[in-house]
Amino acid sequence: MYRRKWIVPFVILVCMSLLAACRPTAAPTVPPASPSPAAPATAAPTAAQPAQIPQGGTIIVGLQAEPTSLDSVQISDYNSHRASYNIFDRLLEFKDESTEVEPGLAESWEISDDGLVYTLHLRKGIKFHDGTDFNAEAVKFNLERQFDPNHPYHDTGEFPYAEFTWGMVDKVEVVDEYTVNITLKEIFAPFLNHLAMHPASIGSPEAIKKLGRDFSLQPVGTGPFKFVSWTPGVEVVLEKNPDYWGKPPNIDRVIFRPIIEDQSRLTELEAGGVNFIVNIPPDELARLKQDPRFTVVEQPGMHTWWVAFNHTRDPYKDTRVRQAMNYAVNKQAIVDNILKGTGLLAINPLPPVVWSYTDDLQRYDYNPEKAKQLLAEAGYPNGFSCVFWVPESGSGMQQPVAMGTAIQADLKAVGIDCKIETFEWGTYLDKVIVPPEKAEYDLMEMSWIGDNGDPDNHLYILLSGEQWPPAGFNMGYYKNEQVDALLREARTTLDRAKRTELYIQAQKLIAQDPPWITIDHETQIVVMDKKIKNFKLHPTGPFRFQNVWIEP
Amino acid sequence: MTGYIVRRLLSLIPVLIGVTFLVFLVMQLAPGDPAQIMLGPKATETSLAQLRHDLGLDQPWHVQYFRWIGRVVQGNWGRSIQLKREVLPFILDRFRNSLYLTVLAALIACTIGIPVGILSAVRQYSVSDRATMVLVLVGFSMPIFWLGIMLQILFGLKLGILPVSGLQSPERSDVLDLISHLILPSMALATGAMAIIARMTRSSMLEVIRQDYVRTARSKGLSERLVINRHALKNALIPVVTVVGMQVGYLLGGDVLVEIVFSYPGIGLAMINGILARDFPLVQGAILLVASSYVLVNLAVDLLYAYLDPRIRYG
Repeated sequence: MYRRKWIVPFVILVCMSLLAACRPTAAPTVPPASPSPAAPATAAPTAAQPAQIPQGGTIIVGLQAEPTSLDSVQISDYNSHRASYNIFDRLLEFKDESTEVEPGLAESWEISDDGLVYTLHLRKGIKFHDGTDFNAEAVKFNLERQFDPNHPYHDTGEFPYAEFTWGMVDKVEVVDEYTVNITLKEIFAPFLNHLAMHPASIGSPEAIKKLGRDFSLQPVGTGPFKFVSWTPGVEVVLEKNPDYWGKPPNIDRVIFRPIIEDQSRLTELEAGGVNFIVNIPPDELARLKQDPRFTVVEQPGMHTWWVAFNHTRDPYKDTRVRQAMNYAVNKQAIVDNILKGTGLLAINPLPPVVWSYTDDLQRYDYNPEKAKQLLAEAGYPNGFSCVFWVPESGSGMQQPVAMGTAIQADLKAVGIDCKIETFEWGTYLDKVIVPPEKAEYDLMEMSWIGDNGDPDNHLYILLSGEQWPPAGFNMGYYKNEQVDALLREARTTLDRAKRTELYIQAQKLIAQDPPWITIDHETQIVVMDKKIKNFKLHPTGPFRFQNVWIEP
Repeated sequence: MTGYIVRRLLSLIPVLIGVTFLVFLVMQLAPGDPAQIMLGPKATETSLAQLRHDLGLDQPWHVQYFRWIGRVVQGNWGRSIQLKREVLPFILDRFRNSLYLTVLAALIACTIGIPVGILSAVRQYSVSDRATMVLVLVGFSMPIFWLGIMLQILFGLKLGILPVSGLQSPERSDVLDLISHLILPSMALATGAMAIIARMTRSSMLEVIRQDYVRTARSKGLSERLVINRHALKNALIPVVTVVGMQVGYLLGGDVLVEIVFSYPGIGLAMINGILARDFPLVQGAILLVASSYVLVNLAVDLLYAYLDPRIRYG
């Protein structure tokens, strides 16, 4: 036995020395931020433009995952959107940091009096990266390739957004070499914004014909950067297009590297393997903001995260119950303690970056007493039990399990006993996008990232009674006749002032009859080397590198 | 011997058909639909139907299966739904990357694990034996993702001597750069295998050195070194070879945790992404490849037995 006696202290010693060896490395000490009166690290680095903008340099972006396609009209995820965006130009473009449109490949446009025909006047003299000409035929080819199943090159890809973006288009006609008419089947107010979305990227028809399906691996556009190479699992390399029709970029190259694990991506940034990263672990954000080596850029995104009630079931048909549950959940605590400031408290399904947003509406600040009182009024003084569906992860879902657990605890405190059921994301989507009679939940988590910057893309699509799954996205089956009428009118009215008024009315009605427990709007955050200047995040998510420069 | 090998290779065919059939069935039965996952909650019914048609997913599953098998036999492994690439070149590339890691990790694990095990056995119950076995236990118990992150922080960030993640540095493709990227993930990968190999070598060696022929070898005056290396080791290695073979076979499928932590483009990561996206052609192709390689490694191990122990013969 005596032999064994020393083992226990030895094991403890080994463990302690291991722990000791790791402690300083796990939390590297950070030099204090320089006390310079310069702009705080959190501000967008809209540094004063130097007399001579430095040229050259490479931005290496650490993405969350490998892009799936570099053909902008085929993408459906952020990584592909970001890697392909700079290769192409779109017919119109969103202005910096805004969802208002400005000229792109089309330098001007007119809308017919009946609101159905959009005439686009294209810029002349633009060439694709392969040297072929950009013209009206190219526009027609690119649009029809997506939405016309009989187009000879429709089978050169899958176009997940074609129906959403072009579903209302009747025909595309070439008027002359630089004029295109797009005719709609019916008036659709947000259409102009669709001309600035990724499906309005124009690729070289010659390259598409030549490469077929491989076009998504070797894209050819007209954009400020040209595609160089894509080594699967390793990198996508783009280089400056010196012949760009607009102002050519200042930097020479952009490289996208997939680094899947959040902590590894951050370590790679600190080790210098990349100089620009996305998806920062929330716990590290405060430290990075203090670190003089880096700039943190933040931008409220077009995102909303919510818990939907199943409106076809009792007791959620009762407005008072839904109001009570809104009062019961401490949303601010979730934003502060779980999301650590990577989200903005939501009081409205519409994100604040989208026009017509109002905060002048009924609010549901944390108030468990009021919740209990409302529940008693509705006839549930002792609460009830419910089934709460939560995905394990998912695009835009932030921290679904931690957030779901916090919501469960808050509801429990007012007597509502929720049982959480978790699902893998693919399974989850399959089970929630179903007609109402097949919905097996009382509460479910969901999130949405806006596509076209129009309020219609949030309010009509997510809350109109005409949009119940499986045909639409109104998960939870909310139906409010007054709201429906307002939203329908707003999407067929072209006058912006009138539409704004309609959406404000709708937001107020929705707030009084809450369809969801709305929690937050996720903030887009990137961290980059301090030397990278003039980078601005865009609400629609891509990274625009055309005007960025790197200090030597 | 040749007949044995041929028979073993032929038995590969039903195994692989069984494997692909099972995988196909599981993927089909699992809820979730690739078109839905690609489009996310934003899919309209028409765009989903169109996409399913474009992908051939609107066919009954047995039609899809036999169509796929027919094409695989002809060398056309299809195109990945998610990545829009040809499956075969893609998974061969990923498999090669996993092979690099596996070979390096197996080399590290064997060159350290086997000598450590022998030393421990020869000096049973000595302080060094105890210490080694405790370290082995610690190595074996360490969560691999944690170890990976610690290696990254230590060698990549603090010492700054090795790259943190990936397969190569931006726009480089030379061997030296590749090897520098392999070191950390293969160290993380080797730790667990090394521990198992060391323990296995030790216990197997302990068994062998108590046998009569070893006593005979000693009594005829051979040096201890010669007794251990020439006579005992070869016999003691048989169970070790089994363990190494199993480890290598397992690692060939790509270690998902290590590949995630190091963003290493191996076959494991490709399969996980494929499964999450319900990318049928990719997952089926990858499993077919991994299953074949696993069966081949097992065959190699069986053949190695015969070399190590001439009493084992295959008729």
